Amino acid sequence: MKQLYATFDWIGAAVLLAVRAFRMLPAAPRILKRTVEQAFLGGYASITIVALLSFSIGAVLALQAGLTLQPVGMKEVIGTLVGEAMVRELGPLIVAILVAGRVASAITAELASMKVYQEIDALVTMNIPPERFLVLPRLLAVLLYMPVLTMIGILMGWIGGAVVCKYVAVIGVSTDVYFNAVRAYLDFPKLVDGLIKAEIFGFVVILIACNTGLRTTGGPREIGFAVTRSVVYSLVAILGLDYFITKALS
Amino acid sequence: MNQTQMTARVGLFFIIGVALVWTAWQALHDGGFSQKEGYQVTATFASLRELKPGDAVRMAGVPIGRVETVGLAQGRAQATLFINDAIAIASDATATIAMSGLIGSNYISLDLGTPSAAPVPPGGTLRTKDTPDLNQIMAEFGGIGQDIKNTIGQISGALGSGAEGGGGLIKTIESMVNENRDKLAHTMTNLEDITARLRNGEGTLGKLINDPAAYDNLLAAVREIKDAATGAKTFMNDAQGLFSQVKNGQGTLGMLLYDDATAAHLRTSVANLRQLTEKLNNENSTFGQLITNDELVRDVKLTLRKIDRAMDGAADSGPLTAVGVISNALF
Repeated sequence: MKQLYATFDWIGAAVLLAVRAFRMLPAAPRILKRTVEQAFLGGYASITIVALLSFSIGAVLALQAGLTLQPVGMKEVIGTLVGEAMVRELGPLIVAILVAGRVASAITAELASMKVYQEIDALVTMNIPPERFLVLPRLLAVLLYMPVLTMIGILMGWIGGAVVCKYVAVIGVSTDVYFNAVRAYLDFPKLVDGLIKAEIFGFVVILIACNTGLRTTGGPREIGFAVTRSVVYSLVAILGLDYFITKALS
Repeated sequence: MNQTQMTARVGLFFIIGVALVWTAWQALHDGGFSQKEGYQVTATFASLRELKPGDAVRMAGVPIGRVETVGLAQGRAQATLFINDAIAIASDATATIAMSGLIGSNYISLDLGTPSAAPVPPGGTLRTKDTPDLNQIMAEFGGIGQDIKNTIGQISGALGSGAEGGGGLIKTIESMVNENRDKLAHTMTNLEDITARLRNGEGTLGKLINDPAAYDNLLAAVREIKDAATGAKTFMNDAQGLFSQVKNGQGTLGMLLYDDATAAHLRTSVANLRQLTEKLNNENSTFGQLITNDELVRDVKLTLRKIDRAMDGAADSGPLTAVGVISNALF
């Protein structure tokens, strides 16, 4: 019961944190510089890892699909399978997991350190709301860079699949056929659905990271625990929300 | 890294993002990356199946445009097609909805039409032809499968036990074999004996099979029979010609059988002959008496004999009588 109460308390605190942060939205021009910095750290700096991981996922997906579909003479639909999977599911999911592991953990560590070392208290004393100064730039930044990272991830996944289809002799599907199959059942609204999903994932992950960091109490040891909790909560939230968002968008 | 560099990189990052979204929109929404100049035509079908905006329009397999909109018009499914400006579609070209694979997307397929035909003007309507889709084909296959199943069921019923529990063909044969097992065994023994004798060249058939001379004789006999048949055929042809002539009323027999005038003459002659014979048979008639009355014959013979003698006398006094007659005439 106590654990349940703690869970609700944690969720309520996260929601209130988001509400307080967006109430500071009129002050957004004042935090533009910090937003750009967060976009750089979370978005631009993640391009390489997102591209590599998405390329690998697309390639593996095409390989698995090719090895399964080639014996039954349906290898021409590999493009459709990879295209749909990357757009609707794997693209947003991979990027969200990467953001959780790479960006959210760093945010939690930073905010937890500030909390533990009473920098947050100092900000409050100086009448600088941490929601405006620390949380809002990160939330605005994630809303901006998540679609871009997701688009890069989707595109690299498609390219990975195309490379495997073309150069793996067992599969042997030309790039033309592959991309025609990608386009066969894919339309722009499906891509928008994927981007919406990525936005929700990114927002929730960063909110969890900020909330976990700002609620850290105790000594420096708690910083590590907070980071671990942040990543775990983020992954649980991503996978838990995934079903409901997919259901809502379908 | 200073603030300017960071801002520049973030700017580049978002430009890349916007470019990617635009590229995806172009590729997935319009069906192509480049918007060429072109014109619209419409094509109506009973069903557009899986056709959707952005799908390709191909003429003889070559992409010439794309499907722009789909909708319903005047009780039919209508697709508006965007055709590249450089392509002219002959007015007798026919559009069909084709599939790019078993589970691939659909596209509009156009044949070339006649080169001399007038081109379809912008806003014009294409000639279309509805083709059966996969579902219809599968439904027909399903019907065929059901027919095959029924037929096999009937054959199975006929061969095995009948649907009403009666004996099938196999069962009947089995019972027949069981009932006549001894006879069949005896027959098989006889057949073995016969085949052994044939192999040994015994009997007429055995000699025919094994003896080349017998075979040659048989061949010669067959040849003679063939010649005889040829002769018979010739005879039959002649007879046929003869009958044909008779049927056409040619020749005496033909006239006799088929000429009404000849038949009438014949009937008259027969009637006359009958009257004559009746008269001959009548004892009162002259000829009847001549035939039947012996006394009359004797009288006739006697008379003739007297005439003979008289003629002999007349011969002796003939010249004097003749002079006397001439003198009377002159004087």
